[in-house]
Amino acid sequence: MTPDSDAPIIELRGFRYTYLEGTPRANEAIRDVSFEIRRGERVAIVGPTRSGKSTVVDSFAHLLRLKRGQVFYEGEDVGAPGYDRGMLRRKIGMVFQRPDSQLIEDVVGADVAFGPTAAGIGAEETRRRVEESLNSLGLPYPEFRLRYVHALSGGQRRRVAIAGVIAMRTPVLVLDEPMAGLDPRGRRELLGLLRRLADDRDLTLVVCSASLGDASLLCDRVVVLDEGRVVMDGPLREVLREADALAALDVTLPEPVNGALELRKLFPDLPADLLTEEELEAELLKRLDVA
Amino acid sequence: MLELQRNVVFGQFVDTGSVIHRMDPRIKLAAMFVMLVASFLIDSFLGFAVALLLVVLIQVSSLIPLGYVLRGSAFFLGFLLFVLLFQVLFYPGEVPESGYLWRWGILSISTEGLRSAGILGLRVIFLYYVTTMLMLTTSLVDLTNGLELIFGPLQRLRVPVNELVLVFVIAIKFVPIFIEEVERLARAQTARGVPFDEGGAFTRARRLGRLLVPIFISGFHRADLLSIAMHTRCYRGGRYRTKFRQMSARPSDWAILALVVVWMLAAWQV
Repeated sequence: MTPDSDAPIIELRGFRYTYLEGTPRANEAIRDVSFEIRRGERVAIVGPTRSGKSTVVDSFAHLLRLKRGQVFYEGEDVGAPGYDRGMLRRKIGMVFQRPDSQLIEDVVGADVAFGPTAAGIGAEETRRRVEESLNSLGLPYPEFRLRYVHALSGGQRRRVAIAGVIAMRTPVLVLDEPMAGLDPRGRRELLGLLRRLADDRDLTLVVCSASLGDASLLCDRVVVLDEGRVVMDGPLREVLREADALAALDVTLPEPVNGALELRKLFPDLPADLLTEEELEAELLKRLDVA
Repeated sequence: MLELQRNVVFGQFVDTGSVIHRMDPRIKLAAMFVMLVASFLIDSFLGFAVALLLVVLIQVSSLIPLGYVLRGSAFFLGFLLFVLLFQVLFYPGEVPESGYLWRWGILSISTEGLRSAGILGLRVIFLYYVTTMLMLTTSLVDLTNGLELIFGPLQRLRVPVNELVLVFVIAIKFVPIFIEEVERLARAQTARGVPFDEGGAFTRARRLGRLLVPIFISGFHRADLLSIAMHTRCYRGGRYRTKFRQMSARPSDWAILALVVVWMLAAWQV
């Protein structure tokens, strides 16, 4: 079967998932989720904790026993018997919440090389990719190549994890809470690096986060999950117009949106779909001029 | 996918609020001790049948589904079967010539060997079943308090009862946490191209070896954090601690303990 070029790169159809199914501790994480992601899209999957974000992205690379509902990659059902899951995982790069769980080797260079080597890529090409991946994540290759993974800081470990995935040259990059636990500076740096990576390599980007503040800087479409269901799905600005509903779901909003919501006490007609402080300022000036 | 949590029941606590759950943990521990002693005294198939019947009754009244416990024990039972196979093949005891069913060099199958392996197997299953039921129905806090109160008098002899109990209970309760950790690691490594869900049994087992280093690192990290958390909350063991919940054994608890004693005596004597 040849992949259908018109098909969405990833599609979920009626996906449901229950953890520990058949035990007294069963936990229904996903009740019914369907959506599709087009090639080159940058999608934020947003929702409060336990809304099912991680479960949804785990399903993309078939990291769960898929029972009910279907997951398609380029139009092919990944749960079908005989589907090449190894190939699928070379197409979908996953960066998990805790980088430690996905670091396999002890030394930075060896770890980044793990994926390409496992995929059967030659030593010379692998070395080149390792160098390029580490450099592009702001970890200079000569300096970091021989460092011990466990001696790095949390932020550096996360970058090594991302480098390990980037070195696979996957068309899809999935990041689960990439900003968690970073200080403001590390956050800004990583945001810049990720945006550049996505631009340079024309990646399909999926970012899970409980905060729309971070995700809004990387993505242009937002899927909002709550209790294992999709409650909103649309372009960033459109979703931001429902800022009150988002706040009720306990989703952290971008700063300008928070500001706008507060300022509605003075200007009840202030829009909420503001991405930057400049936009907020412009809206305020408009209203002040009238006054 | 690696689904250990679904398939390992050891060390889990499942609160159904049943009669068994609400029993005084000291009584439960005493009953378990009685069964432990009984398991060494009982030496017949009929005796174990009677004894196991009681554990099944406990299981039924605990409202924990039998299928869950069985599936969670499949791995353990498989391992046990493997060990018993050796017990049969290399049976060291005296066997009359008529007792041999099959013989090849030092390997043999004899009725005596089969009987001894059968009894041993039942003994281990009985012990495993009883401890599993105790842990499924008793929370960490109850277990700790119960053990401390039972062994409390030893504190006078300068035995560090509190510390020992704490270490024992933490060790048991770390099992499910480690299992969760292994699952998480396996999932992340699968995503990076180590296929845990493919290949033969041997390849799969070798891949699990890759998880050892990260598991150890996170284990030590977790233990460090736990000790810091206990220090910051000024944890002090032993007689300095008071209890928010006082335990009280009700008459029905004592009646159950008496039933267990009588039942085990009967199983021993049949």
